[in-house]
Amino acid sequence: MLDPVFMVWDGLPVAAQDALLFVLLLLPAVLVGLLVVLGFRPMTLVRAMMWRFKWTNLLFIALIAVSVGIGVGLIAQERGLRQGTARAADKFDLVVSAPGSEITMLFAAVYLQPSDVPLLTGAQYNAIANAENVALAAPIAFGDSYRSAPVVGTTADFVLHMTDELADGRLFEVHTDAVIGANVALALGDRFSPAHGVAGAADDSAHAHFEYEVVGRMQPTGSPWDKAILVPVEAVWEVHGLPNGHAPDDAGRIGPPFLAEQFPGTPAVLVRAEELWANYALRSQFTTDETMAFFPGAVLASLHGLMGDVREVMSVMAIVTQVLVTAGVLAGLVILTRLFARRLALLRALGAPRRFVFSVIWSYASVLIGSGAVLGIVVGLAATEAISRIVTARTDILVRSSLGWPELHLVAAFVSVTVVLALTPAFIALSRPVVTDLRG
Amino acid sequence: MGLALAISGLAVSGRDSRTLLAVPDLEVAPGSCVAVKGPSGAGKSTFLFACAGLAGTASGSIVWGDTDILALGIQKRAAFRRSAIGLVFQDFLLFEELSALANAALPGAFAPAGAQKAMRLRAASVLERLGIAPLGARTVESFSGGERQRVAIARALASDPDVILADEPTASLDRKAADALVDDLVRLARTDGKTLVAVSHDSAVHERADRVIEIIDGQIASDTTYA
Repeated sequence: MLDPVFMVWDGLPVAAQDALLFVLLLLPAVLVGLLVVLGFRPMTLVRAMMWRFKWTNLLFIALIAVSVGIGVGLIAQERGLRQGTARAADKFDLVVSAPGSEITMLFAAVYLQPSDVPLLTGAQYNAIANAENVALAAPIAFGDSYRSAPVVGTTADFVLHMTDELADGRLFEVHTDAVIGANVALALGDRFSPAHGVAGAADDSAHAHFEYEVVGRMQPTGSPWDKAILVPVEAVWEVHGLPNGHAPDDAGRIGPPFLAEQFPGTPAVLVRAEELWANYALRSQFTTDETMAFFPGAVLASLHGLMGDVREVMSVMAIVTQVLVTAGVLAGLVILTRLFARRLALLRALGAPRRFVFSVIWSYASVLIGSGAVLGIVVGLAATEAISRIVTARTDILVRSSLGWPELHLVAAFVSVTVVLALTPAFIALSRPVVTDLRG
Repeated sequence: MGLALAISGLAVSGRDSRTLLAVPDLEVAPGSCVAVKGPSGAGKSTFLFACAGLAGTASGSIVWGDTDILALGIQKRAAFRRSAIGLVFQDFLLFEELSALANAALPGAFAPAGAQKAMRLRAASVLERLGIAPLGARTVESFSGGERQRVAIARALASDPDVILADEPTASLDRKAADALVDDLVRLARTDGKTLVAVSHDSAVHERADRVIEIIDGQIASDTTYA
């Protein structure tokens, strides 16, 4: 019987489904509000009640806001992280490395969190670079840094792939040229010697004999590559006293092709196929005993799946928190209505219809709940914005905070449930004896 | 013109079923000004609340005009109070955060839409007659006791009721303010022909009344009518 409804629903655009769901979730609150308030104008008295115990009311609103903010922040943050990490991996179609952990390689190659991994040989690199439909096969070389910015050896084509066009300057043409990420604190023309190693383990003097010159700056990518310094892979090898991938009489050359016997090894090759479908063929081709090929997006999806499970657990916790806060708020409302007992008794003594008194109490509760919910959205977004900035600063993965439908659905459901439950304190207040309350 | 009151066989009981007030028979002429006196705890306020249909457990009949308020259900009692009875309390019971005019026009908040404007105009008019119209826009939290009680009287009269029931209207006021307020209350009631029943310890109220009823131990101990 409901099949036609589901068919119509499935035929709607996602945005329309979200908007409708929001309306449906909020509908109980609206209907109850209309039923309770219709024909009366209780807001003058509600404003007076709000002002009468303003600090207590503010505390209640803050309590609700924090509760709602936790839920909103949790959902928005998780989505921001998911989108940010996905955006950072967007340019990496296929990664080929020595067999091992895909996640380790994902973190190393895409998010520049290097660890000790086995290397691919020159022959393996050439097999990848020369495979059918390969448009780009960029070796990478890690291990050096400059003032906490990783120095990554790669090819000029890969730089172009990452940035489309440079924000400033030019690509590297000689071994000592460097192109910096958008957020690296260097300027064009600056010269620097790389430190051996990264972070606390970096040795500043190990490569003091070698100097790079900044010749270009990439556009922002929203990834850890914004804080990286990209140099010719040959330079990284040379700095470490290794062959540079080319014949000795062609030592000044940069970029492919590389001679297999002069190729010191690379932890990973970042591959881009000429056609999307060809990525699948390449993945199959290089999934062997000696090489591992994987789509960073697919590994990320698995990680996000895991995050999704965590999110569900945390969402349940957030909902439980909100239920507890709701129960607390309702208990508080019962107490607050006792504070207003004389005023409510006065209204009844003056002949106010029970429905009017009921509408005053319910409207008062709804204003507290509604204000708390709206403030909660602001609190949640502010918290998400702050956390996003911290995450972005620490990881260089651009995490954006935004308000999405899931948060609005959560808030709508919370508001509906609590304002419907707010009928209870209104009923309780009406059951109190008028004369006893009038006497105070 | 105010309503006549006829009480017959009234018994009001407390929670422990103890009889708090027993009035076998009492009649009050319409438009008269009645003071109810007696020691604290004697049942004066219980009498007043019973007359307003607010006493919890009451038996017998309390007939205002031709309406037995005890025979009405809760909703109809409220409707009757709304239209026929104005209440004034000892400690004013105002909404401190609202203006004097908003307090005086409070019954308009739950009146039918068409009557709200009229009630507001009437509330403003009563404030004028009580001499506090210039304070109408101010919140009452800064008002003196006398000014507050005048606002409460304006609220009681906003719906143009036939009856005013006042519970110790001067108890929170100093002597001078109390005298002025009694003057105003009685003057308004007489001018508009309201039936006024005022419970009070205040001799100034007793002196201005047409009739003084004394209640002791829940019984009418004396009933004196003045010419």
